[in-house]
Amino acid sequence: METMRYLLLFVPALLLTAQTPAAPKKTTDHSALTAASIPAKNFKESGSPTAQVGIEIYTDYECPACRALYLDVLPSLVSDFVATGKVHLLHRDYPLMMHQFSKLATRYANAAGTIGKYDVVANQIFVSQPEWSQNGNVDAAVAKVLSPADMEKVRALVRTDSHLDDSVAKDVAMGNQDHLSQTPTIVIVAKGKRDVIGGGMPYSILKQYLNSKLAQ
Amino acid sequence: MKRGLLFFLLIAGRLGIAIIFLYAGIAKVREPWLQFAVSIETFKIVPESWLEPLARYLPWCEIALGIALISGVLARWFSLIATGMLTWFLFIGIRAAAKGLTVDCGCFGSGGGGIDAKWFVEHAAMLALGLSVTAGEFVRGRSPKFVPEHTLRDF
Repeated sequence: METMRYLLLFVPALLLTAQTPAAPKKTTDHSALTAASIPAKNFKESGSPTAQVGIEIYTDYECPACRALYLDVLPSLVSDFVATGKVHLLHRDYPLMMHQFSKLATRYANAAGTIGKYDVVANQIFVSQPEWSQNGNVDAAVAKVLSPADMEKVRALVRTDSHLDDSVAKDVAMGNQDHLSQTPTIVIVAKGKRDVIGGGMPYSILKQYLNSKLAQ
Repeated sequence: MKRGLLFFLLIAGRLGIAIIFLYAGIAKVREPWLQFAVSIETFKIVPESWLEPLARYLPWCEIALGIALISGVLARWFSLIATGMLTWFLFIGIRAAAKGLTVDCGCFGSGGGGIDAKWFVEHAAMLALGLSVTAGEFVRGRSPKFVPEHTLRDF
């Protein structure tokens, strides 16, 4: 009996030398999700579609943590990994019910995407979030970065385009499949697995994780 | 209270702590280590360079501690380590609440939520259990008559 007790102590040593197993709860088989994860090129994606690692970022335009991720982490992520072809980036909309103006902001961003101005408008919406989240005046915030002609096009789309929310509905459905519990959430797609990471994070730790994924 | 009953309460308490640590460790190693690193980061208590090693190896240490507690080898010292860890977890929770930090506990993997009254009650109860077991193990170690020798060996 005494020997057995000491032998039990070797179990943690064996476990410690083992590789961390895949996460069955937080990852899913990529084969079933490939089509949805890597859609045809659209204004919400950037980087090489054949990159070794894919990142899907679920955000809500009215969420402060999403703003912090977008402004503090995304620029470095894009310059180090997306622009260099290592990572394919896909933005996904996940407007939360608790945020009054989030859906409106999402419509403006996607309308701008339709006319080829997604990046500049999405950035402006996040930058000006503290203002429009108080009064809902997303229009005024967006107007600061678009020409009057482009702004009119965007306004027309926001008012009348009934399909503007279609991609949002798909993103929300995908988010529900990913069991999102918060925004922002980052999904790292590599080797057929989707690692779902909820919450904001410093760039340094994301960089370490991506490098470890790329090294595999 | 009879010594036999005390002994079995002590064993039950130690196994309880072991299960808590095993569950916490297994829940975390089943997820990508980045998720736990994100949770640790919300406490703003360690430098960023510590996040990866902590997130990678702390869950395995919890599992190892759980197994060690089940084994009963050096029970008083492993109980002491477990109690030390529970004290630390409660301390960083109090600190985060005092600083008004929005934290993701990450204690039993993701989705555990933040720190609220329920969290404090749970962690205080776990710490109380840890302290009781540690005290009991040290008392047992000092008192050879606490439990008959054959009972100790047969467990």
